[in-house]
Amino acid sequence: MAAMSLLLRAAAALGARKVPIHAAGGGRVSLLDRSILSSGIFAPVRHGSHGKKMFPITATKFYDKRFLSLLRFYILLPGIPIAIFITYVNIFIGEAELAEIPEGYIPDHWEYYKHPITRWISRYLLDSPEKEYEKMLALIDIETNKSDLRMKEKEARRLMRARGDGPWYQFETPDKNLIDYSSKATPDN
Amino acid sequence: MPDDWDPEVYKAAPGRTPDPEPRTSLPNPVTIVQSLYNLSVDAPVTFFREWMERQHAKNRYYYYHRNYRRVPDLTECLEDDYLCFFEAEAQWKRDKKVDEEIVKIIQERMGACQQREGHSFVQNCAQEIKQFEQVAKAYEDRYADLGAAGNARKCLMKQKQRMIAERKAQAQAEA
Repeated sequence: MAAMSLLLRAAAALGARKVPIHAAGGGRVSLLDRSILSSGIFAPVRHGSHGKKMFPITATKFYDKRFLSLLRFYILLPGIPIAIFITYVNIFIGEAELAEIPEGYIPDHWEYYKHPITRWISRYLLDSPEKEYEKMLALIDIETNKSDLRMKEKEARRLMRARGDGPWYQFETPDKNLIDYSSKATPDN
Repeated sequence: MPDDWDPEVYKAAPGRTPDPEPRTSLPNPVTIVQSLYNLSVDAPVTFFREWMERQHAKNRYYYYHRNYRRVPDLTECLEDDYLCFFEAEAQWKRDKKVDEEIVKIIQERMGACQQREGHSFVQNCAQEIKQFEQVAKAYEDRYADLGAAGNARKCLMKQKQRMIAERKAQAQAEA
């Protein structure tokens, strides 16, 4: 600031003319020193750093920013507690160690998994793999029996229709005495 | 952490002993970098890991591998016995997975041997290569060309076709 006022004084001394405040071209005047003002000598100052102030016109980023912000929020809202829980389980409870099955011991179905959370899910939420296997076998058995019975029924129907000696496929026919043979009296009909 | 590999199967390459009379008085930069790494990365991580192992050791529990019983094969099932078919299929799928892992292990051994020997693997790894070829040929005979929807029945039919072709070739060779 002191150097600036010295410079102005030097410019004044070298014959700078009086320039009004609203100089042509938009150059700004530095109103720094009262002594300079009172002496009436001032020069337009153009600060090289700022440049002309602009207002850039771009497409809106409001909706994108809002979407990403909400996405992060709703993912981290359950995400961070889940991450903390899983870290706690891994550090303080730890995974199981592999061992040979001891003699005469039948492990429960959840004892075949390593991670504690998997073991918990298998123990409390899911049926044992043996039970799932038996459920599948039960479904297959039901379907086998159904298919068996259906095949037998079809075979019985076929035979009864073909042989006519069973209780099915008995059709009621009208009485023989009701047939009208009068048209058979003349040979050329 | 998983176990280290079997040193009999995966032999370490012969090491090079360091020079007992180094001719420079400059420090080896490799040791400097190693000690820096040990201080900054290895030591804290090991400390944390060991603390964690101590927490785990307070309540340890075990897990086991499943032992499946053998059930009658597809060849031993009667006609229309769908339960028997189902159990034989499940057993065949398990056996196929086991065979795939066997092939992978033999392949890994061959790869480790080749990596170890460098350019002289052609004569030094002959046994591993022969073993792998045998195992891969056996796997191919049994499971190849069944397709993605391959099952025990298709595998059985493939073996039947192979046996027929073999007998035909034998008959033609005799004739």
